Formats: sequence, C-alpha cells, structure tokens
Amino acid sequence: MRRQFKDTTFDLATRDEKVVIVLGDISHFLFMPLQEKFPTRVYNMGICENALISVAAGLSAQGFHPFVHTINPFLTERCVEHIKDDLCYNQFGANIISTGASFDYAWDGATHHCYGELAILRLLPGMEVTQPGNRQELDTLIRSQYNNGRPTYFRLSDHGHTLDVPVKFGRANILKDAGSKLTIMTAGPILGNVMEAVQDLPVNLVYFSTIKPIDREVIERFKHTKILVVHDAHGLQEAIHEVPDLSVSYHGLPDRFCVWYGTVHDIRKQIGLDPAGIRQAVQSRLATIR
Amino acid sequence: MAAMTPFCREIRRNILTASRTSGHGHIPTSFSVIEMICAAYDTLRHDPKNPQWPERDIFILSKGHAALGLYAVLAQYGYLPVEELKTFGAFQSRLGCHPDRLKVPGVEVSTGSLGHGIGVAAGMALAFKIAGSPRRVVTLIGDGEANEGSVWESIMIAANLKLNNLTVMLDFNRSQVRSLQIPNPAERFQAFGCDTMDVDGHDLEALKAALIRPAETVKAIVARTIKGQGCPTLAHNVFEWHRKSPKPEELEHLMKELEVA
Repeated sequence: MRRQFKDTTFDLATRDEKVVIVLGDISHFLFMPLQEKFPTRVYNMGICENALISVAAGLSAQGFHPFVHTINPFLTERCVEHIKDDLCYNQFGANIISTGASFDYAWDGATHHCYGELAILRLLPGMEVTQPGNRQELDTLIRSQYNNGRPTYFRLSDHGHTLDVPVKFGRANILKDAGSKLTIMTAGPILGNVMEAVQDLPVNLVYFSTIKPIDREVIERFKHTKILVVHDAHGLQEAIHEVPDLSVSYHGLPDRFCVWYGTVHDIRKQIGLDPAGIRQAVQSRLATIR
Repeated sequence: MAAMTPFCREIRRNILTASRTSGHGHIPTSFSVIEMICAAYDTLRHDPKNPQWPERDIFILSKGHAALGLYAVLAQYGYLPVEELKTFGAFQSRLGCHPDRLKVPGVEVSTGSLGHGIGVAAGMALAFKIAGSPRRVVTLIGDGEANEGSVWESIMIAANLKLNNLTVMLDFNRSQVRSLQIPNPAERFQAFGCDTMDVDGHDLEALKAALIRPAETVKAIVARTIKGQGCPTLAHNVFEWHRKSPKPEELEHLMKELEVA
C-alpha cells in the first residue's frame, strides 16, 4: 500500500502544484524520485512528529494540500493533541498517512503496534478517518479526499486484502446479504481473513473503508439483525454505535498488550483473528441466534 | 530601559480596565509582551480594514495565554473596538482567554496549548517560500513555552530549511525560574541554528530594528522583558497576579503606577 501511496501522490503532485509531501524520515528512498522532480514540494523533515503536524497545518493555512507520513503510533497516538488543535480546531486540512497498521510490525513489539488510533481520531470534531483495505481502495480514497480542506486520516497496511471492492468515501459495501439474523461488520485489510472465514456461512457481511463518517444508512438496514464486529483495531465498533438500539458484539482485540513478536499472521492467530479463529467466533455467535 | 510610549501605555490601561470589567486576568504576561506585539505590527505588512488581505504578513501569538495583550494591541491598531475588550472571557464574547482565529479579526492561528503556534508558523513560512512569496511570519513564544519539545522540533525544522522569512520572538520574562528556566536562551537558539539577537523587550525601536534586520536563516529575538512591566505591584507579585482581576481600589492603584512608568 505504501508503494501505491507513492504512485498516487506522484500523480497528484504532477497535476496539482499545491500537493506537498512531509516525511518523518520514513519512506525517504521511496519518495526520492518525487523529491528530485519536485524539490520544493517533498521534504524529509526528520523524526519530530508533533512539529510535522503543526507544519502541515501551516502549509494548509496558506492553501497547500500537505501529506504527512511516518510510522503509525508516532504520527497518530503521539500527535493527538497537535491534530486536535492545529488541524481540527483551527479547521486547517491535511492528509495524515500512517504506515504500520495494527500488528504489521509484529516483530518490533508493542511500541510499534498501533490499533487504537482509528477510535481516538474519530473523536475529533471535523476529522475524517479512513481504513483502506488494499492499494486500489487507498488510491480511490486519497483521490476523493486529499484536497477538501479537512483533516483526513489514511491508514496504510503492508498486508492488504486481495478482494476487489468498489469503495467510496463514507459508504459501506454490502458484500453479502443472505437474509441472515447475523451480520458481520468489518473494516480494512482483515476483510481477507473474514471473507475466508464466513463465505460459506449463512451470515450477512458488511465492509467499511471509512470509519468517520460512518455509513449509518447501511447500518440501519441491518438494525434488525444481531451484529458481530470483527476488527483488528478499535474504532469500527464504536462508530457503529452511532446508530442507536443495536445489538452488537465484538470479536477483536484483547484488553492487554500483545507482547509477542513474529509476524502479523502469528499475532492474528494468537488472538483469534486468523480465518479459523474468526470462523469459530462467528459459528459460536450463530449458535446463540438459531 | 527605554521609556514606555504613550501608545503602549494606553494599551496597558485598556488591559487593566478589561481585566477589571471581565473578572479575568493574565495581566502580567500580557504586560510583558506589549512592545513585542506592537513592534511586530509596526514592521509587518497588514491592513486592519482588510484582515484577510492576501498579501499580508503573519503574526502568531504562540503563547496564547497572553491573548488579552494581543486583543488590546489589535484594538489599538483598529482590528476591533476598544470597548469590546470589556467582554473578555464572557460567554458570548469573541474574545476568549486564548485566541480563536475563527472569531477574532487579526488572529491567524487559534492557540492556547503551548508549543503549537511556532510549528504552524514554520509551516506558513515554508508555504511562502514554496510559493515564491515575500510574505513573512513572526511568532511570539514564552519562556515557559520553550520547555516544550515541539518548540525545538519546529526551530530545528526552520533552521534546516533556512526559513529566513520566519522570526521567533522569545518573551524572556524569566517566569520559569520556578521550574525549568533556560538560563541563556540566546545560546540555545544559536546552538539550534538561528540567527539570534538579544534585545530589551520593552524597547520598541530596538525590537523593530531587530525585526527588520535581514537574515540568512530563521531569526530568533530574545526579548528581555519584565512580567507586569509598567506596574511594580504586578512585577513584584507575579504569582499572586498571574490570573487575578483587580478590585476597584487595586485598579486605581495600578493605573497610578502605570502613569509614572
């Protein structure tokens, strides 16, 4: 997805002279060709994330469309107050592009795991929050939102799903409507595991690539069913509750640090977010409904 | 120490009156920065009749808690009615105890939390460089604010990019002696790559000369100031007066002190 981010911004920077890239010493080599082509619009500013957000706000205040990019927890959880004050409160737009979703950097340990930022950022007034599931979705969402003058978060992952979902900002996709009393709701790259787990099960499946604004209309359509949120992050289940009087349960993260290393697949398996674990959770929920 | 100008004395009078009427304080920190803000508005290109003039230079009060000082200066330059200062901090007022850019003409960035305005200022200065614009940015930070890491992150970025259209003014009123005082901020700014000057922060002409002096990179002006400048009662009792609003008899006393300053 990072390569797609580069390709998309390369194209946008070529067409739109207001595009400015601000890197926090990540993806520097990836962006070197762009920097050579547009030396005044691509900056590797260093490892100083809070200031990067403020600088982006200043660029936006003067009419540019900044993209700020570095590793997820440093760009989002570390910078929440800068995003709140300098972007949201001041109403300055910027594109915040993180890399390293949830357990992408499993081997680096809990300091590099990041699964809370979707939930945190959606609390900020004026903020848009997206979780593209693969590179096509990323391309669509960036092109749709990058110059709208609002702060928008894009969460990159190294492990996108391989499904072809025609996403649109702010709209959910109904991938399966089996008339079931159980609806699975999920978001982002984990869709691959979810689809593998439930494709032959009698459940409905709804997919979100935008966490804020959440597609309330689609949620309303399944309000009469039990909802099971399957997500390797926080944020989706909270957003779904914007629609009142739902019956929602959650299969996802435990309330403890995931202190293992290995790969994202190892950790997903450990916490039941591999296809087998998800299938078991869905079957258990189905058994209580029948 | 330079003599206080009638213009700056009038601004301080208005601050005292506004604080008395509104019941809100932050007088000493506001008194500390009056000459600095006036020097900025005297040297920047701006138009009070057209606050959104596209070619204007930018002033950002990064230490947002001196908002009353900023409002009083803006009122004196014609951005808002002096009478409106009396609404400071009231429920329906435009004038909060920290400035809101969406409410107050002349306020470019909403500040309050420390260590933010300076980074936004660096971003604006970079934007002007990219656009090939001659516009300039001046930001005013506090010495307490200079405890924040984001201040030095922003300065490193500005120095690395040689943003010579950005000036950082430090209100060096030594308010941080109680905790984490930077003893010689000029050395610190110099070490971080700034073109640094050390001036009397209540000498309007010296401040203006420092502001208009060309530089090759980001400029830092360490302005030696006195918290509560103009009223010995405030200057000698800064902790008591940090957020205090004067009672009628105290207002009368402070006004008398101000007349002989």
